Amino acid sequence: MTQVKQARLGNVTPEMSEVAKQEGVDEAVILQGVAQGTIVIPANVKRPHKNVGIGKGLTTKVSASIGTARGSTAYEAELEKLACAIQTGAHTIMDLSIGGDLDFTRREIISRCNSPIGTLPIYQTFTEITDKSNALDMTEEDFFKVMEKQAQDGVDFMGLHCAMTLKTLEVAKKQGRLHDVVSWGGSLLAGWMLYHGKENPLYTNYDRILDIAQRYDITVSLADGLRPGCIFDSLDRAQVQEMIFLGELVDRAREAEVQIQIKGPGHAPLSHLKTTVKLMKQVCKEAPYFIFGPVVSDIAPGYDHITAAIGAAISASFGVDFICYVTPAEHVGFPSLEDVRTGVITSLLAAHIGDLEKGHKKAWDWELAMDKARNPWDEATQKQIALDPTKLGASSNMEGSYQCTKCGAKCAKKVLAEYFGKPISYC
Amino acid sequence: MTQLIKARSGEITKNMRIVAEQEGVSPEYIREMVALGQIVILGNKTRKNVKPCGVGKGLSTKVNANIGNSPDCGGFEDELIKLRTAEKAGAHAFMELSSGANIDQFRRQALAATELPVGTVTIYQAGVESIEKYGSVVEMDVEYMFELIERHAADGVDFMAVHAALNMDVIERLKRQGRVTDIVSRGGSFLTGWMLHNNKENPYYEQFDRILEIAKKYDVVLSIGDAIRPGCIADSMDRAQMQGLILVGELVQRALEAGVQVMVEGPGHVPSDQIPATVLLQKQLCHKVPYYMLGNLVTDIAPGYDHITAAIGAHIAAAAGADFICYVTPAEHLRLPNAEDVHEGVIATRLACHAADIVKKVPGAWEWDLKMAKARKALDWKQQIALAIDPDRAAKVRSERNDKDSEACSMCGGHCAMKIVSQYLGTAVNNC
Repeated sequence: MTQVKQARLGNVTPEMSEVAKQEGVDEAVILQGVAQGTIVIPANVKRPHKNVGIGKGLTTKVSASIGTARGSTAYEAELEKLACAIQTGAHTIMDLSIGGDLDFTRREIISRCNSPIGTLPIYQTFTEITDKSNALDMTEEDFFKVMEKQAQDGVDFMGLHCAMTLKTLEVAKKQGRLHDVVSWGGSLLAGWMLYHGKENPLYTNYDRILDIAQRYDITVSLADGLRPGCIFDSLDRAQVQEMIFLGELVDRAREAEVQIQIKGPGHAPLSHLKTTVKLMKQVCKEAPYFIFGPVVSDIAPGYDHITAAIGAAISASFGVDFICYVTPAEHVGFPSLEDVRTGVITSLLAAHIGDLEKGHKKAWDWELAMDKARNPWDEATQKQIALDPTKLGASSNMEGSYQCTKCGAKCAKKVLAEYFGKPISYC
Repeated sequence: MTQLIKARSGEITKNMRIVAEQEGVSPEYIREMVALGQIVILGNKTRKNVKPCGVGKGLSTKVNANIGNSPDCGGFEDELIKLRTAEKAGAHAFMELSSGANIDQFRRQALAATELPVGTVTIYQAGVESIEKYGSVVEMDVEYMFELIERHAADGVDFMAVHAALNMDVIERLKRQGRVTDIVSRGGSFLTGWMLHNNKENPYYEQFDRILEIAKKYDVVLSIGDAIRPGCIADSMDRAQMQGLILVGELVQRALEAGVQVMVEGPGHVPSDQIPATVLLQKQLCHKVPYYMLGNLVTDIAPGYDHITAAIGAHIAAAAGADFICYVTPAEHLRLPNAEDVHEGVIATRLACHAADIVKKVPGAWEWDLKMAKARKALDWKQQIALAIDPDRAAKVRSERNDKDSEACSMCGGHCAMKIVSQYLGTAVNNC
């Protein structure tokens, strides 16, 4: 039974209790959110783990993507990234492996991860078929075999390009984009559709997808194959056309009592963020929004963790629920361990900034604790609560002390401290 | 040749110069924006008595007033009074929306009676005459639908609403969405009925090129929309509306390619937090052509006061980039407006647009306010009344419950802050 079904029956599941406790909200809030589909709890029935709630009224969550590169078998490095991402605070992991033994890699990752895990089954499908022959030879059965296998392994949420229909491709063509299709899975699938002149099998077989999702309680994470690949393509007709289909598929998932969230861009100028979020929430009837940045400028390769954090913080403040991290390696190369760490930290920071605007008490309490620890200067507490404690104490000139002798009796700080009746702060 | 084609070829036309002068911008700016499709100039090239009007980026926000009879009421005399009322109140354009008797005659009389640009909705006439002739709107004759477009254009109509952005796909989306008020556009409902009954695609959509040809021939500005606009705030920004807007964008693209001036009609009923998003989406999806919005009405619970609910929405919309606002009168959702309603509607819409022009930094908008502020400080009543958006109203209210020679007004009487502070600071007080 899916969490949605349970929630609609009025049953508070252990997963819901766990989330309610973490978030400091009433179980009834979670129950109602899950029942209505504004909250998801990705929790495959095959694999118990630490649960995470994503959606309306909850703190903004961060997902870190790992996975082997095409042609690479170096899964150990990805296991290190997994450990690093979790330790740094990522709430979920996506395994996007497209190199080596994919089943083996995924199972290694799953066995070492006590958090929700997501995949894109079409990645494995296309990787395996291109290893053998050609992406155009993919069959529907190839896809469903992979999906079922990944579900069996305990994958909790799956990225699926169901809304990228022939119509959306036609609209994109008429639109005339700078970057047509930038999603890796989306572009292969689009090529397959156009070559065979067939509708997207993930769209025509959506009921079958919902059936698998229902059996394992997989959270469907509808991917946006037509997401803009640069800020110039943001909020164009192709993107909006796909969003209309996404909305219709949300309705169908909810009817089938399947948990569903929607993936979002990508690349968007700052002035588009509010409209992007508002449109998605309207058209997809408040389903949780899982957004990839967005990067708000395209000219800063090497710094896209920052361009993305700006976009993510603002999007989160407008209601985005879940942020896919962007590392400094984005648009540059394959991320290193350090890139993963930086990506997670920056995304957590953006999520927290969003949570402040969303008015989460936990977020404001955190701020207050840090602000108090700065006056009077309390480095131990600062280290304890800093987003990244390793940054504190690294530089000796940050040490506060009021044994300073530079100004002697004419210490301005001392005068000020006496005036406000508070202990002297650092100089 | 249309203004758009001439602008693209680098020509600065007489109409562009007139608009530039009215707006206080350079003729080259107008040419450049017309060439990009971001400004349209209303003015059918066969109509002799039209004062061209620019609508679009960087220009003051324009106000449209609707006139026209309904099957239940109105001879032309009544409509002429409304037309004169709207002109006096400062409307920039009219739509002649008659759906009663003698539609051709009404339109021609209206075109002769005013120098302002006139717009029409040809599907109204097609539908009404089909009902008269065949007893039902679903019997509309396709050839006649196009004949009417040509007839209106030949009569000199300057802009025309065409419900081309409606097709079976949009109707299917609407059905799946499950709306509260389905379709509230009269033209949209005529066409939907026709399409479903005859099981045929919308002729305006299928034969859009024919419309483009006529528009190009007369330089009629096409106003594409809004057959599927939401009819209540609960239906705003839904999938059906978005599907309609995508289609509008594709038709805009075709119009621009054909060298036809084009703008887009928008809602309607929009909760205030969705207005900037609605405007941005229109601009993004429709190649930044001018946006012609109705209202927006930001709440549905105030019949009798919808000029106010619409003015609130119009202000937010115009500030967010809407270029042309169709007025809403206090009679909206209740009955056909009378002259008093028309007056209230035009003034309310104009002040909403002006308040937006201030933040849009339209030349002259800020200066107008500054003049009023100075006149107030100087207690210069003559000036204040002359500068008022509705001088008659200001003068009338001023004359009530005030001593004729009083410097102040009876709101504070002798305690007038302006007066007291002026005396204290020694700044001049201008007796009126």
